[in-house]
Amino acid sequence: MVEFCHEQTAHCESGVLANLLKFHGLDISEPMAFGLGQGLFFAYAPFIRLNKLPLITYRATPGRLLKQVARGLGLDLRMRQFKDPHKAMLALDELLERGIPVGLQTGIFWLPYIPRAYRFHFNAHNLVVYGRAGDEYKISDPVMPFATTISQADLQVARFAQGALAPKGKLYFFAKVPATLPLAEAACTSLRYVAKQMSGVPFFLIGTRGMRFLAGRLGKWPARLGDRNALLHLGQVIRMQEEIGTGGAGFRLLYAAFLQECQGVLDDPCMGEFSARLTEIGDKWRLFAAMAARICKERRRDGDSFVSCARLICTCADREEQLFKDILRHLG
Amino acid sequence: MKNLEQEVCRQICDVCRVKGIDCTVVDKGAPLIGPESVLGLDSLDAMEIVVMIQTEYGVRIGSEETSREILVSLATLAEYIRENS
Repeated sequence: MVEFCHEQTAHCESGVLANLLKFHGLDISEPMAFGLGQGLFFAYAPFIRLNKLPLITYRATPGRLLKQVARGLGLDLRMRQFKDPHKAMLALDELLERGIPVGLQTGIFWLPYIPRAYRFHFNAHNLVVYGRAGDEYKISDPVMPFATTISQADLQVARFAQGALAPKGKLYFFAKVPATLPLAEAACTSLRYVAKQMSGVPFFLIGTRGMRFLAGRLGKWPARLGDRNALLHLGQVIRMQEEIGTGGAGFRLLYAAFLQECQGVLDDPCMGEFSARLTEIGDKWRLFAAMAARICKERRRDGDSFVSCARLICTCADREEQLFKDILRHLG
Repeated sequence: MKNLEQEVCRQICDVCRVKGIDCTVVDKGAPLIGPESVLGLDSLDAMEIVVMIQTEYGVRIGSEETSREILVSLATLAEYIRENS
């Protein structure tokens, strides 16, 4: 069985990526993996419904991080999906026998080692399988504090969960990694891409324009939807913002940590300043989340309201727009 | 900071409006958030706690230290505050 170093991380895809690369001797942190993978994003898509509530995303689509990091760093990433669960499990076993740790996309609801309270129907949860002993697979799931195990039957069910983002047995692994990485070049490419997505896309549902559109809608939810439905919608906004409810403005702070690392990678002190600004913006998102939580829990303080929540989102949008425009201008 | 766990417990009860809890006898190692929470707290309460800790102690629970680990219990939260304040 391979020696695999399990590390708990804030977010599953960037965590799996960082842990897999560490196995191959590449010291890429989780924030660096998230940043190089162009993970930061915002979109509000009211016409797409999750459990009858509008889709809001604070990160890039599942799978994008893996592909972008592999492309940017010149890694040989192999990915496969399957129609036949039996073949999918055989392919996994084959790789494990060759001593290769394998990343899997799974449905988190079907993973029995995840506490019941944290299970929900999300089919793009990533984990690493690094060994097999009889009927049990050795699992490094980055949301867990320790490495764990899962039975073959349970793993198969999780790999073939049905519904939106169905994993279809998806597995991936790095077949080859270069000895040296073009980190600076890849970081600049990713910084530019994210900055353009956040501040320069002329579509009203994406980036900072999407935030303002959401704010405009959110302020009117009590009048438009009624109190109960408005609270459900507000709960959805913060549920999508937080990583399992406890991360604050998780993705903003993760990207701020990436900017901080870029200060060293690019030997550019301005990146540290950009990082500090995004951290402050992350704190504002947290204030919004805390206010929204108080409203949802019906323990409002003076000044808490849907309109105040909308104002906070607009403030975040204004500051993020300015920040990403400054990053673009700085990188030239 | 000897009784930091009790102090944090009282602040959490205040912010999250938890009533009828005697913080001097609460198990400091018991789960803080989730269905087995010793204070009956959920993930929405956790957001308020994260903001409260930053406001009261100037300690940010950032992205690299996962809040899942820090908010495991009153003991882990107090330890994190001690180490970072």
